[in-house]
Amino acid sequence: MTVNTNILFQNYFSDVKNYDEVINSNMIINSNWENLLDNLTNIGIDQLKLKQNEINWLMAENGVTYNVYNDPKGLNRPWNLNIVPFLIHENEWSNIKKGIEQRAELLNLVLKDIYGKRELISKGIVPHEVIFAHQGFLRQCDQIQYKTSKHLLIYSADLARGPDGRMWVVNDRTQAPSGMGYALENRYSISRVIPDIFKNINVKQAAGYFYDFNQMLVESAPQNQHDPNIIILTPGPHNETYFEHAYLSTYLGYPLVHGNDLVVRNKKVYIKSLKGLKQVDVILRRVDDAYMDPLELREDSYLGVVGLLDAVREQNVTVVNPIGSGILENSGLIPFMNHICRYFFNEDLILPQIASWWCGQEKERNFVLNNLTQLVVKRIDRSNRESIYFCEFLTHSQLEELKKDIQSYPYSYVAQEKISFSTAPDFINGQLEPRKVTCRTFAIAKQNSYSVMPGGLVRVAPEREDLYVSNQRGGISKDFWIISDEEQTNIQNYTWDNSHRISIADINDLPSQTAENLFWSGRYLGRSLVTARFLRMALNRMSELQFNEQQNTSDNLQYIYQALTNITSTFPGFVGKGKELTLNNPLKEICSLILEEKRFGTFAQALNSFNNSYYSLRNLWSKDMWRVFDSIQKTWLKFKEENNYSIAELIKLLDKIITRLIAFMGLIEESILVEQGLLLYFIGLQTEQAMMNIEKCRALLVFNHEEHLQYQILESLLTSHESLNIYRYSYRSYLSVENVIKLILLDEKFPKSLTYQLNRIQKDIDNLPHSNTQDNLSEPQQYIYKAHKIISETTINSLLELNPDGSLRQNLDDVLSILSDLLHETSLSISNTYFNHSHQQTQLVNQDFSS
Amino acid sequence: MIYKLSHNTSYNYESDVTFCHNIAILKPKSMMGQSVLEYKLEVSPLPTEISEKIDFFGNTITRFSIQKSHKELSVKATSKILRNFSLQPDIFNSIEGKSITLESAIEALEIISPEILEVKQFLLDSILISKITEDIRAYAKVSYKANRSVFEASFELMQRIYTDFKFDSKFSNVATPLSEVMKAKKGVCQDFAQIAIACVRSVGLPARYVSGYIETMPPPGKEKLIGSDASHAWFSVYIPKFGWVDFDPTNNQIPKDQHITVSYGRDYYDVAPLKGVIYSNGENRMKVSVDIRPDTES
Repeated sequence: MTVNTNILFQNYFSDVKNYDEVINSNMIINSNWENLLDNLTNIGIDQLKLKQNEINWLMAENGVTYNVYNDPKGLNRPWNLNIVPFLIHENEWSNIKKGIEQRAELLNLVLKDIYGKRELISKGIVPHEVIFAHQGFLRQCDQIQYKTSKHLLIYSADLARGPDGRMWVVNDRTQAPSGMGYALENRYSISRVIPDIFKNINVKQAAGYFYDFNQMLVESAPQNQHDPNIIILTPGPHNETYFEHAYLSTYLGYPLVHGNDLVVRNKKVYIKSLKGLKQVDVILRRVDDAYMDPLELREDSYLGVVGLLDAVREQNVTVVNPIGSGILENSGLIPFMNHICRYFFNEDLILPQIASWWCGQEKERNFVLNNLTQLVVKRIDRSNRESIYFCEFLTHSQLEELKKDIQSYPYSYVAQEKISFSTAPDFINGQLEPRKVTCRTFAIAKQNSYSVMPGGLVRVAPEREDLYVSNQRGGISKDFWIISDEEQTNIQNYTWDNSHRISIADINDLPSQTAENLFWSGRYLGRSLVTARFLRMALNRMSELQFNEQQNTSDNLQYIYQALTNITSTFPGFVGKGKELTLNNPLKEICSLILEEKRFGTFAQALNSFNNSYYSLRNLWSKDMWRVFDSIQKTWLKFKEENNYSIAELIKLLDKIITRLIAFMGLIEESILVEQGLLLYFIGLQTEQAMMNIEKCRALLVFNHEEHLQYQILESLLTSHESLNIYRYSYRSYLSVENVIKLILLDEKFPKSLTYQLNRIQKDIDNLPHSNTQDNLSEPQQYIYKAHKIISETTINSLLELNPDGSLRQNLDDVLSILSDLLHETSLSISNTYFNHSHQQTQLVNQDFSS
Repeated sequence: MIYKLSHNTSYNYESDVTFCHNIAILKPKSMMGQSVLEYKLEVSPLPTEISEKIDFFGNTITRFSIQKSHKELSVKATSKILRNFSLQPDIFNSIEGKSITLESAIEALEIISPEILEVKQFLLDSILISKITEDIRAYAKVSYKANRSVFEASFELMQRIYTDFKFDSKFSNVATPLSEVMKAKKGVCQDFAQIAIACVRSVGLPARYVSGYIETMPPPGKEKLIGSDASHAWFSVYIPKFGWVDFDPTNNQIPKDQHITVSYGRDYYDVAPLKGVIYSNGENRMKVSVDIRPDTES
């Protein structure tokens, strides 16, 4: 292909400043890229723009996110995938692959040696400070033996093309490398949105690699290899790559758990499930070394498992990668890697590294101090961007300070040559632009070798001239193709059949934290929906009043306002002290009940609480659910931005949100299996709805009113209950207290009646695992049975009974009050019986010195 | 001299503790000049599991967990120790050890040998002794000179800390940074030991933290009160061609027969006598009593 006047490339050639993947210094196009460039040209700029938008949309819709700590935009920034892939030909890749395998094997031996004989140190190959002064060297892990033949089970290398045209190693990732899930999702999105881009190109697939990955997890189990219990340990929804944790959990089919789902007893790790404790064999962890065990490692960690390290020591559980492997994320090793390679393999490194000088050596240190401005300086144990000094950009005083630090702690610093890595085309604003790229590659341990993912994750510098590429700041990614001259099978195995997949679809094994989150999702959703409907009804009545100044309409409203305060428990509100003021400007209070997130009992607060449990459960939700959830959030944010809080606008907002909440609830029921925990969600939902039902009836049915007002109140109650039509259908009569009570409290078939709800809760609780024998009821059963018994023995006449003065139905109130208490007890006993997170992990006070 | 030693720690919890995991470093070392004749660790309530192992620094650590609900935890370590300093190498008798200068000591540390590699880890920053400040470096330089005997300088450092620092059990806690102790010149034995270690490391010599006990004497004419002792700490300097030499800056003396060693580490963090994680919702309060006295029965 010759360079034509293709508009897509208009400025590309003049923009290329360094080594570029596509064109060389003579402006000749790399033949490996020709087919891709042809495809891009044929697709055309307009289509590419549309497709890029579609990718962005798909990423946002599917909830592919990357959290940035302390980001003003908040959680869940959408993942950026550029439509133009990055590619490497198989011929070149085969050597890179060998290089990754060699480095993985080598680091595996280094890891064994560091926590074993330490011959690298005693033979003078690695200076002891490179290990002993590195924060990742965990003395607690010294001499731990493992059953796996390899210690380094997952290895990830960041590669970039250096000025000599070869791929160089920039970074080693050895604790809990991230990116595999994003790589998978990138490939999925590109092939779904723009299949034409693959035309005439044979792209290698990663299915075999993921098979090996799963195999590695299964085989690393220290016991129980035919049916190991494998779990994925996540730090939680606030972690930057939480999306990926949930994604891998769904993809591999292993439960996603938090540290406090696990417990160590008798030197074994167990997962707390609904049924009780179940032993864990393998932990694929996304938590860093130091946070894994607050007993022996960082005391302030709430992400790990107390006593885990000892369970590892006793070989009762395998952690992937082993705790302590962070020592290999060590730029201090780089200057010695070639020696190490010669020592173990008697060969040279296949993949070049950046020239590096360890300041612990006098000659090297002097060189670094004399040439500081031309170098990049790092701490050996920190590779985050904040700890890297690009010395050419430092001020004089910053340089002096750095020099002083290097002189005080020479062994903690490494200086590296400043390298300009290659650029590759990125589709930006309708044109291709050269941007710097780095490639994250992955390798998985097999019995006698490593399996390397064909491709990986390519990340692009966010700005044109940016030196450094990092996920930590967001940034753009690319699909990474290894292309072949031979045809590849194009079948993409996204939902593969895991032959070793252990069926966990059993309610007994549900992690108790997941169960708890589902239970509360149900309760918060129920609360949000009932509150929203009641608020909407109130707003509709207010809007009617604007056109209709009748006395009893406003009397009715008074009762509705008071009921609002009662059912949301937002006292004093319209009921307590200062109510006259609130009643004078009811819209203000209602706005607060809808919008104030910090105020307990409001709609916003219920919705917000639901959001929190939503994120913790992401691995269970379907893509449709994400979409609906996202639209709830967008509707909410847009409303708050527009800042128009009129009655009409508030009604519109509630209309929109109520419809979406119902859609979401429908999706929950069809997307999650009862065994996966839907049961807990139902119990939560029904319990909340029953409680709210009771509060509404107590607020609106207990007092006796004159006929006309009574009618209006009953109508309001039924409207807020979305039951007016059903009432008319069932009774075909004028609204009466008797029939309303029959319908919404006593009806056995109507799903919104209290009797039906209690019946349902009882059945669902019966289906929870019970350790007791059959004739012995569990605590939650006892409460709900009692409640159920009370309502079924209650007659309509006793509920209608008026006090002697005719003012109120005391009996109704008493029954409802008892039922309300019983429901609270039921909920509490479910928490105590099944969730058991009530106890916090605390460090003992430790101050034993005084003489 | 034979000592009877008891170290009792008890925790009172505000609310029930359902489960706990603990690590204790309480067993005195067996080493030249110190033998453990008897040792017993009693934990109440009875632990579900308990095991002993040797840690990275060669200390004996005991791990235990209690899996039943409790409101009080008590850990009693009792031992009988035979202490005879005269069996230990004494620096005063080593002409080479006494005379080695800072310059030649640093040179001796350049060699790669198993012993030197082992001691060199005590040269590096540790969790509680890191980022050694300029004032500590300056304080060290007053005693340590290139051509001066390391032993002499270390002895002087001990004396200076004894004179310049005021014992104040209210000033510091485990979390007080070294730089603040240096500024205020106040603290307890642990602070003094760690200040000294920082000084020694700042001039390029290995120094380690020693955790143990000291026998205290009652005021003249009075009976010694039971439980009036406490855990103690001091520092140790590696002097090439001789070995480790202990110094007690709190009492201005070279530890001999009145000092009993439990453990070594880079600083207090490595050798805390008792630590643990409990599952509970309330506060916890700790009480410690240590008693060390000559064994009169034997």
